[in-house]
Amino acid sequence: MINRSFRQLPLLLSLLSLLIFGGFASDAEAQETAAPEAGAVAEKHEAIPLKAAPLFTIGKFTVTNSMLVTWVVALGIIVFAQTATRKIKQIPTGAQNFWEWLVEGLYNFLESVIGSHLVRKTFWFFATIFIFILFLNWFGLIPGVGTIGWGHHDPVTNVFHVDRPLLRGANADLNLTFAMAAIFFTLWIFWALQENGVGGFIIHLFGPKGDSKGILKVLMIVVFFMVGWLEIVSILFRPISLSFRLYGNVYAGENMLESMAHIVPALSWLIPIPFYFMELLVGLVQALVFMLLTAVFTLLIAHHEPAQGVHH
Amino acid sequence: MNIPIFLAANLVTETAENFGFDVKIFLSQVISFVIVALLLKQFAYKPILAVLEERRQRIAEGLLNAEKIKQQLAEAEQRYQEILAKGNGEAQKMIDEARASAGVIAERKQQEAIVAAEQILAKAREASALEHERTMSQLKRELGRLVIDTTAKVTGKVLTRDDQRRLQEEASRQVAS
Repeated sequence: MINRSFRQLPLLLSLLSLLIFGGFASDAEAQETAAPEAGAVAEKHEAIPLKAAPLFTIGKFTVTNSMLVTWVVALGIIVFAQTATRKIKQIPTGAQNFWEWLVEGLYNFLESVIGSHLVRKTFWFFATIFIFILFLNWFGLIPGVGTIGWGHHDPVTNVFHVDRPLLRGANADLNLTFAMAAIFFTLWIFWALQENGVGGFIIHLFGPKGDSKGILKVLMIVVFFMVGWLEIVSILFRPISLSFRLYGNVYAGENMLESMAHIVPALSWLIPIPFYFMELLVGLVQALVFMLLTAVFTLLIAHHEPAQGVHH
Repeated sequence: MNIPIFLAANLVTETAENFGFDVKIFLSQVISFVIVALLLKQFAYKPILAVLEERRQRIAEGLLNAEKIKQQLAEAEQRYQEILAKGNGEAQKMIDEARASAGVIAERKQQEAIVAAEQILAKAREASALEHERTMSQLKRELGRLVIDTTAKVTGKVLTRDDQRRLQEEASRQVAS
């Protein structure tokens, strides 16, 4: 019983994180809606575009600035991981020490959330999600990202405006966030079928939960059949909510930093600094939220209720 | 029925366009993520998890060995205490036996000494008695001779053998009484 309570602790923490995230999300949305107003006060054309800007084309394929950041960060992570694990020693030092700390910390954390059975199977995905999102978010905060590129000189304000930045926060592009959400959705279906089988998966969605008898059981079957359809709608919307949540927060954060940099032109170097620290935190929280939500969704579908007597 | 679906599809398309969703870019990002995930899985997570598992096993093995050594040490300590107790017991037994045998020997020697002393005393008494007897005989003889000589000188006559024997006996009787 105590173990069970302890196992619930990470879930509660996850929910707490979600609440915190909710606060950030609300702030982010508020910023997003407030951004045009602030922009109206300062300069309307300062708002960052919703889309990533194309840089060049290879045949019919367009490479955008967010894709470039994705590749740079991906390459950086792979090179670092390869360097850290090239000569593995029993007593770790340097890069191996850091990488071990990260991997072991994530593994233990995920194990406490989804259990040892699931974590062995799914760790590679959740760890990559966390590491990739975290470093993409933090890379987007490096000065120069979004501010170096092609633009025009405004003769009225005598300021150079970047219209087509060379680099853009990769998670401020819906294509990447939706890609990660879609990959998770595919894997989620695969893991769900692997854990439950086709019949078990359907029972998991539509089957009545709890112990009931007689007319109550019939009522429960009807209720849970209808709840199952709602569950399907909820599941189908998960990629949308996951991708837009991450995209919205990162995009709003970038807009906020941009707004803070232009709100008082003389102090454009000072005012964004506190918000940079907040964005560092938001970057971490968003990576954690994406990973935790996907992990909890996987746990929920793979979790077997003993009362139902379904064995796999 | 078809109108809401059409409107929804239109809304989705419009939203996707507004947010810059592009199928080609989306697929490119899918491929990028999959490549990163698979490379990290193969070259970054597997070796680290393997080394962590190996280290965990080593630690568990080390702890198990430490526990075994501790147990063996406790057993050795117990054996040492048992051997020590046994040795002490045997030594005590030997001391007791030695004490007991020393007592017996001392008693025997004491008895022998007593017997020897008594024998010496008896011999001494015997020798003393013999010496006394011999002295008394010599005394009687000398005294008899003195009495005879004195009587002969006082009376001025030559005593016969019978007189001498009678005086000798008389003097011996006087000395004996």
